[in-house]
Amino acid sequence: MTIQTPNGFSLDNSGQRIVVDPVTRIEGHLRIEVNIDESNIIRNAVSTGTMWRGLEVILKGRDPRDAWAFTQRICGVCTGTHALTSVRAVEDALAIQIPENANIIRNIMQLTLQVHDHLVHFYHLHALDWVDVVSALSADPRATSELAQSISDWPKSSPGYFRDLQTRLTKFVESGQLGLFRNGYWGHAAYKLPPEANLMAVAHYLEALDFQKEITKIHTVFGGKNPHPNWLVGGVPCPINVSDTGAVGAINIERLNLVKQIIDQSRVFVEQVYLPDLMAIASFYKDWTYGGGLSSMNVMSYGDIPEYANDYSAANLLLPRGAIINGNLNEVHEVDLRDSEEIQEFVSHSWYSYADEDIGLHPWDGVTEPNFELGKNAKGTKTRIDQIDEEAKYSWIKSPRWKGHAMEVGPLARYIIGYAQNNPEFKEPVEKLLTDLDLPVTALFSTLGRTAARGLECVWAAEKLQYFYGRLIDNIRAGDTATANTERWDPSSWPKDVKGVGFTEAPRGALGHWVHIKDTRIENYQAVVPTTWNAGPRDGQGNIGAYEAALLDTPVDNAEQPLEILRTIHSFDPCLACSTH
Amino acid sequence: MTSPATFYDVFRQQGISRRSFNKFCSLTAASLGLSPAFASEIAHAMETKRRTPVIWLNGLECTCCSESFIRSGHPLVSDVVLSMLSLDYSHVLMAAAGHQAEAALEETRREHAGEYILAVEGNPPLNEDGMFCIVGGRPFIEQLQEMAAGAKAVVAWGSCASNGCVQAAKPNPTQATPIHKVIKDKPIIKVPGCPPIAEVMTGVLTYMLTFDRIPPLDRLGRPKMFYGQRIHDKCYRRPHFDAGQFAEAWDDENSRKGYCLYKMGCRGPTTYNACSTVRWNDGVSFPIQSGHGCIGCSEENFWDNGPFYERLASVHTPLGVESNADKIGVATVGVIGAGIVAHAAASALQRARNPDNAAKTGAGE
Amino acid sequence: MASTSESSKKSQGLLHSLVSHATEVESPATKVYVYETPVRLWHWVNALCIVLLCVTGYLIAAPPPSVPGEASFSFLFGNIRLIHFAAGEVLALALLYRVIWAFIGNSHAHQIFLPPVWSIKWWGEVWHEVRWYLFLVKVPKKYVGHNPLAQLAMFGIFVLPLFVSVFTGLALNAEGEGIESLWYQAFGWVFALLGDSFTVHTIHHISMWVIIVFSMIHIYVAVREDIMSRQSLVSTMISGWRYFKDDKE
Ligand code: HEM
Ligand code: HEM
Ligand code: NFV
Ligand code: SF4
Ligand code: SF4
Ligand code: F3S
Ligand SMILES: [Mg+2]
Repeated sequence: MTIQTPNGFSLDNSGQRIVVDPVTRIEGHLRIEVNIDESNIIRNAVSTGTMWRGLEVILKGRDPRDAWAFTQRICGVCTGTHALTSVRAVEDALAIQIPENANIIRNIMQLTLQVHDHLVHFYHLHALDWVDVVSALSADPRATSELAQSISDWPKSSPGYFRDLQTRLTKFVESGQLGLFRNGYWGHAAYKLPPEANLMAVAHYLEALDFQKEITKIHTVFGGKNPHPNWLVGGVPCPINVSDTGAVGAINIERLNLVKQIIDQSRVFVEQVYLPDLMAIASFYKDWTYGGGLSSMNVMSYGDIPEYANDYSAANLLLPRGAIINGNLNEVHEVDLRDSEEIQEFVSHSWYSYADEDIGLHPWDGVTEPNFELGKNAKGTKTRIDQIDEEAKYSWIKSPRWKGHAMEVGPLARYIIGYAQNNPEFKEPVEKLLTDLDLPVTALFSTLGRTAARGLECVWAAEKLQYFYGRLIDNIRAGDTATANTERWDPSSWPKDVKGVGFTEAPRGALGHWVHIKDTRIENYQAVVPTTWNAGPRDGQGNIGAYEAALLDTPVDNAEQPLEILRTIHSFDPCLACSTH
Repeated sequence: MTSPATFYDVFRQQGISRRSFNKFCSLTAASLGLSPAFASEIAHAMETKRRTPVIWLNGLECTCCSESFIRSGHPLVSDVVLSMLSLDYSHVLMAAAGHQAEAALEETRREHAGEYILAVEGNPPLNEDGMFCIVGGRPFIEQLQEMAAGAKAVVAWGSCASNGCVQAAKPNPTQATPIHKVIKDKPIIKVPGCPPIAEVMTGVLTYMLTFDRIPPLDRLGRPKMFYGQRIHDKCYRRPHFDAGQFAEAWDDENSRKGYCLYKMGCRGPTTYNACSTVRWNDGVSFPIQSGHGCIGCSEENFWDNGPFYERLASVHTPLGVESNADKIGVATVGVIGAGIVAHAAASALQRARNPDNAAKTGAGE
Repeated sequence: MASTSESSKKSQGLLHSLVSHATEVESPATKVYVYETPVRLWHWVNALCIVLLCVTGYLIAAPPPSVPGEASFSFLFGNIRLIHFAAGEVLALALLYRVIWAFIGNSHAHQIFLPPVWSIKWWGEVWHEVRWYLFLVKVPKKYVGHNPLAQLAMFGIFVLPLFVSVFTGLALNAEGEGIESLWYQAFGWVFALLGDSFTVHTIHHISMWVIIVFSMIHIYVAVREDIMSRQSLVSTMISGWRYFKDDKE
């Protein structure tokens, strides 16, 4: 049966059903079901979030100053972004102004997360969709070296280096214990890289694995650990003391030097390894144009990285803010997180109940009440689901909508909005990338576009790290060492009943936390998370979300090995713990 | 299939010389807090062993334990997964997905029964027949129990698997349950922390691989070598604690001098973990060194022992007013004090009015 | 002639103590020997330790303002804790000694440990005392030892919290000694019973407030009764003898 969704897609669930569960190389638990027609083209797609923990329920009644720690545990992959969003929400509610240094350090933390998360996503969560590890065994190390040297100045590129790696890999495969690489779709027809490119990519997979841990040390300096560094309502917890007795217990010149060194190294790695690899790999997949989904129609970003403290207006945010609907790049709409008519969550297809499920709730009035039930057309039993019934409730993810529209969020959304706003920081790299690959602008609206935008953003973030490091030094040089404002630390100084909203651009997209504080305790807390936007199920009107839309019309070469599904889903960098929380 | 590779083979395959192999062994010994004499034991073990299969399952969690694991600096996680063990299943890192991924579980269960280590990140929810966490269409608890049945030992990663962690905080809507409550017949090594320190995680695994035994555990099932002492016992700010020098407010003079964070709510005195010794991310820092108190993330119930910034847990009084032991104590003392004054006044009044009657009293206290 | 009696000095044994009631007297002698020397000695040592423990315990949870100078130059907080631990150990030993004496001493010696909560008659007497303190009863009953209400209060809001304080305190101390220590082997079970270390701190802390509340009431009532009633109270805890001032010939 073919149905037309209000947001312009046609669905047909008559063909063969393919189930991918668990989707791996993601965070959390996700199930994807698709129907393919007789030509193996995906005609229907169902995205099911299969975990829920109830953080919003658990937060009720707690001290708002602790909320960052709870919400940070929404996810250990995008660690920190929820904490930052949370302290911003609480500060918004209590009208707390943070010191300039705190804003800078928070930006450094957030940008560090962007660099780290994007890098790990590309190499460790996404690359194996494009890179055939087994093919790397037949590469010529000398040719690999030439390839590597032709695309980058990265020093680890000698024939000997690649030969050693190949030997290690061969012995590893011959040992018969394939570990992580076991049962991969090696040899799949959709893999297009020559053996040399595969070998180079595997080398960088391992280098990136060793390097990513360095980047996070910036979190460790300011937040004491990673994952899950520490934050503070009113500022940051780490004091600055560069000149006086006791300086060794605070942010001092030795700590600053460490941070600087890591920032510099990260920038080099991202520019000399990540970006060239991305370009090289993309150049072999230029004709794999699928996966655009909602990106050519509805995208949204809240914006982030306030250049100066306490100003969250679009003009002060380095990451773009706005919404594009119906593919009209000429108009970028203002997004108001406080307007009860703009952001709303629906649950008609989610495992939750509302008093009235025909309406959406703005997060300040949000309700999280679990209600697990399978539709009557589901196959299997309650505890052994063979097939989901997408006509009924079918996911632990809610369906957020902006003015009723399903939106895609994430690096691609940010780049499209920045591009539409003619912001050179975003437009120029996009244009350069398209020229270098000899592709039209429309190529952006695809699985590869999403993957490419993430890479560009990683480069951007590494550069901005250097900028904010410089700002921090300038401030300290000028004698400003304040890191926290404690005027409103004591709950007795708080108003009786207030609401606040905090937002960030998390690696995976627009993130907002809405808090209602009453009598110094959390009365209600709601998070609407990037993966909630992207992976959410249909709404009551039948609008499908970004994951489902992106899978449509993609040919699947081999229904037994649906590599294409993984490619597109991975291009969103799914985080299910985030999406349902 | 060729003969199984040992640790040492794999080292050789990587072109590592005998000398640096020996050096690696002594570094491993040192990082595990063992005497140099153990280096040769480690070397011997590595030369003779096939890589142990490890199955890494994810329940309700946030994946910070996997993320922490890949931060390991010594040993490097790339060496761990390529050379030291065989990570046959991990949602986060494995190439295979869907039924190919599930097949890897089956194969390991069949081919390595009783040999593999089951590493669990997160925990099973028991409410709603376990359907708050579904893998392959089935509740996670089923997968967990099936894989535990064939395991040689079980490692409980992080506070989720060990204690329940955040999703088990009140009111625990999914009834998230630490794994020792559902796996009863296997040795379980708890490695709590939210997340645990990377080098502690790889340290625990390599300890088991190299010595072929479970590390000595404390009363709660945590390896003593890393969880035998409190943060406070080895905190470098301890002299300030003993002296009575405390940060009194965020970013005050005292915090800039690195005074003790006890008054800011530091849970170091009640938290068993290796943060103040091993430290985080290759020894760069740990929470207290970066100015924030310990929140007790490796302890049972730590989420419900808040607020994190007060020395005393807040308690819900029957009246619904938030309070803590001192506030209630002071209030009670006030009420009792007032009661005593009133009672004394009434007694005096009665005595003044009726001296005769009072004379007859005689209730010994 | 003033009659003088002494409560039985002979050991009463555990079985006897299980059924022991407060000793209501119809027409008491003018002078009774109630509190033997070990009880009196314990009482005052205990009272002193509790004062020290409450002051230092409170400071442990809410330390005084920071001291200046280098850390290695001062041991103020260390000393506060030291006094607490020392007083705690004295108190624990004294309690042990008092418990042993409950088996050896006279019939009053075990009253505070074993209120006959199973006895309906006894509860009736408790109720009577409550009404007496609420000025609802005009003529009180007379007791040689503790009256039933006092006995209940001493058990419920003093003896029990004291045991809680002592065991949790010893357990916390054991953590300081380390989990390999004999201390920990002796008292680590407290954590198995009550939960994590933080919870044990909280319980230890709450028990302090219960004991403070008891002490306030206790001291007030002791002084009040000494004035209001015609029998000795405070001096009894010093000399051991209770004098009934009205029951002269
Ligand atoms: C009437 C008896 C006692 C009272 C009122 C009392 C009171 C207190 C209080 C209020 C605290 C602070 C708890 C907190 O909030 O962390 C404390 C801590 C402590 N008490 Fe006691 N205590 C008593 C008996 C004992 C005994 C018998 C011992 C055992 C030797 C003991 C050992 C400790 C220890 C080890 C600490 C923890 C000190 C630290 O963490 O630095 N206490 N006590
Ligand atoms: C921390 C303070 C104190 C505590 C915890 C305390 C506790 C006790 C206890 C447990 C008893 C019962 C003795 C037994 O039967 O073994 C007792 C009896 C007594 N205490 Fe205290 N005491 C304290 C302070 C005082 C003070 C300051 C006074 C004097 C003003 C006092 C006067 C008495 C008297 C008179 C008795 C005997 C009551 C009677 O004859 O029935 N106490 N006390
Ligand atoms: N979706 C999501 Fe997150 C991100 N980025 C957060 O808000 O991943 Ni764990
Ligand atoms: S223990 Fe903490 S860090 Fe690890 S998965 Fe659980 S919530 Fe995340
Ligand atoms: S900072 Fe925390 S762990 Fe360190 S000495 Fe102070 S209370 Fe103890
Ligand atoms: S909060 Fe956790 S990371 Fe260590 S210092 Fe405390 S145990
Ligand atoms: Mg939500």
